[in-house]
Amino acid sequence: MRFSFLKTLTSLMRKDDSILVLTADMGYGVFEELEKEFPKRFLNTGITEQSTVSMAAGLALSGYKVFFYAQAPFATMRCFEQIRLDAAYNHTNIKIIGTASGFSSNQLGTSHFSVEDIALMRLLPNLTIFTPGDPFEAEWATKMAYKTNGPVYLRLSKSGSAVIHKQSISIPIGKGIKICDGNQLTIFVSGNLLPMAQNIVSSLNKKNIQACLISMPTIKPLDKEIIVSEAKRTKTIFTLEDHSIIGGLGSAVAEVLAELGEKVNFLRLGVPDKFTHIVGSEKHLLASNGLSEKKIIKNILNKLSQK
Amino acid sequence: MSKDSSYTSLIVQAKGIRKTILSMIVKAHASHIGSAYSIVEILLYLYNEELKINPKNPLDPGRDRFILSKGWGVSALYAILAEKGFFKKELLDSYCLNGSKLVGTATRNGIPGIEATTGSIGHGLPIGVGIALAGKIQQKNYRVFVLVGDGECNEGSTWEAILQAGQYKLDNLVIIVDYNKWQAYGRIKDVLNLEPFAKKWRSFNWSVKVINGHNFNEISQACSSIPFKKNQPNVIIAHTIKGKGISALEDDNEWHYRTPTDEIIKIAEKELNI
Repeated sequence: MRFSFLKTLTSLMRKDDSILVLTADMGYGVFEELEKEFPKRFLNTGITEQSTVSMAAGLALSGYKVFFYAQAPFATMRCFEQIRLDAAYNHTNIKIIGTASGFSSNQLGTSHFSVEDIALMRLLPNLTIFTPGDPFEAEWATKMAYKTNGPVYLRLSKSGSAVIHKQSISIPIGKGIKICDGNQLTIFVSGNLLPMAQNIVSSLNKKNIQACLISMPTIKPLDKEIIVSEAKRTKTIFTLEDHSIIGGLGSAVAEVLAELGEKVNFLRLGVPDKFTHIVGSEKHLLASNGLSEKKIIKNILNKLSQK
Repeated sequence: MSKDSSYTSLIVQAKGIRKTILSMIVKAHASHIGSAYSIVEILLYLYNEELKINPKNPLDPGRDRFILSKGWGVSALYAILAEKGFFKKELLDSYCLNGSKLVGTATRNGIPGIEATTGSIGHGLPIGVGIALAGKIQQKNYRVFVLVGDGECNEGSTWEAILQAGQYKLDNLVIIVDYNKWQAYGRIKDVLNLEPFAKKWRSFNWSVKVINGHNFNEISQACSSIPFKKNQPNVIIAHTIKGKGISALEDDNEWHYRTPTDEIIKIAEKELNI
């Protein structure tokens, strides 16, 4: 996912001199080639997320499109107020690239986990949020971030290299992508768990349960239409994400469903409202939060039996 | 201390601006008069003598930028912007009242002449660093002036930006510190002492001038030598008096919060020749 972002950004920078890349001392082993090609348009501002977002606003107010790269928890939480005022309120052309989101930094603990970032970013008016789930979605999201006139949060994972889509995507911002169809239930997934969602749908198919899978690479603006139409069609909705069940895709979908007033069987599959005190592989950390394929399938079957 | 004799017109204007600020704040039953009064001379000098700006074309790409980082002193800035013709003076009557866009902290909401949304401290300086850096990259001649509060120099983001401006050799960036010795809860030296202040800036690779921020000659002398040193950002540490201009308000932090009373207004009438 990161490689796809980098490749797309590099090709955009070749076409548009007004793109600058700022990093808060992150991207070792990532940006070297880009820095070599664009030495004057790449700036390591030091470990200074707060002043860097404000500085990015100053650069954006002077005509630049600024990509600000840092690890997701630091890119969003350390400088939240700078994002609120200098990026969102001022509607500046700042693209916040939060890398290593979710449990990507699997051995580094809560300081480096990022399962609250989407909730924070969703709060802010003017901000567009992309949560790509495979390299093609990352390519698309990077292009859309560039095209968006205003502030963007683009959430990347360290992993996420499994390819789901067959080719480059061309959809408008704020649209879900139907990966496969099914009429018994609908799973909305965003980000890194897209490959897992696909496996889950295959397993359900083997049990003769026809599931529809929809990837949501844009969290804001949200594709409300597709949520409403699926709620009316399958009447059974699940959300899946490597983010807290509070404030992310699950909450966003819940808000739409609650106001819809239809009777819908609904479950959020995400990180429960508790801190994770352990380390381990990303898969292990997800599983310890109830996000293993086996556990998710069990939860889906339970929910279906309540119908 | 040098005499202020050659700036008689600005000295008269300073009284007028303080009158305007007083009436805005009293009408709105607003706060922060002390913060506005300590920066009147600095703003008047910049807007009359120093900044290359055009009120008729406030977004001219070649303009000097001025950012009021201590955004809560904004009543002084509004009064001067109106005086310079950025917008109509009648607008000042709406300051902080229902529906007004003249917000009590500098807010970039379409009011001509307001370059950045501040008020939350520690934003204006790094925004200024970004604009100055853009000027360097684009080889433009504009300069960026940022007026920061002394209390604002508590914030980490301010010091991040001070490091960055030194690193990027932004000699087109001029910081003026309104050193009125008060922050929200008390004396600077008692809360978080900034001294040795000039030495701190120098050690971050800035060029420093220390002046009396109410003396036009001293402000002028400092500004006339910008950049103080090639490849170094500039800081003017301006010793000021909070509430300067009305004796009953001076050096008293109560007027960071309170609206001037009838008693104060009477004193002001005498001292500002109303």
